[in-house]
Amino acid sequence: MCGAHATVRGFLGELVAKAPDAFDIVVDMEAGLEHLSRGTGKHVSRFLAVVEPYYRSMETARRVADLAAELGIAEVSAILNKVRTAADHDAVSEFCAAHKMKIAGEIPYDLGLADAERAGQPPLDFSPDTPSVTAMRKLAADLIATG
Amino acid sequence: MRIAIAGKGGSGKTTISGTLARLLAQAGRQVVAVDADTNPNLATTLGLQPERVQHIVALPRSLLKRETQPDGSMTSTFLRDPMEVLEEYGTRAPDGVRLVVMGAVGHGGAG
Repeated sequence: MCGAHATVRGFLGELVAKAPDAFDIVVDMEAGLEHLSRGTGKHVSRFLAVVEPYYRSMETARRVADLAAELGIAEVSAILNKVRTAADHDAVSEFCAAHKMKIAGEIPYDLGLADAERAGQPPLDFSPDTPSVTAMRKLAADLIATG
Repeated sequence: MRIAIAGKGGSGKTTISGTLARLLAQAGRQVVAVDADTNPNLATTLGLQPERVQHIVALPRSLLKRETQPDGSMTSTFLRDPMEVLEEYGTRAPDGVRLVVMGAVGHGGAG
């Protein structure tokens, strides 16, 4: 196992052991699948896979879900992202249902995010009421409500 | 809650991670955001200014003692108090989020 990942894992393990309820922890995982086998996600209680409405993204999410199940990681749910149309929504929803992934939230395709990106600012500051940020606000509220 | 967000590069996972971290903090919660991506850019999404991003110190591997046991297995011991580590390496981001960044992967050592 890579030392950098092991260090993060060690830190999170100690933090959770010492102060189990003091913090909300949000881990931005690396893009590939290797982090799962490296155990970086070991100390999290919920695993959220970002799924876009196109085949390769869904295929990656399926592999994440399979690997997570193999490794005994609690629960993998999906965040549908960049959803443009009803057809997009249906395709990703059907995919999630077929692979028994719960849907934690749905974020629409939003050019407001590209504007924030171009300005080098967080969307939350640049365009706090753009539809994608509104959807993320709902996701945050739902996550708080469900623990 | 302790959540990990995964996805392909370009899927929006960092934007979602950073925004969620800030929103949880705005709801009054103590939030630790961890950038475990090998190409870290959560700092910018959280709203840290470029001059501060430059000065972020990643978690050094020296915090972890790794030993190979006689039977060949590897054990890891975290050597410091995690709260102290959070104070020392946690960068304050907007809304009070604390950002911890994973060190570079694959240079030297056990790799």
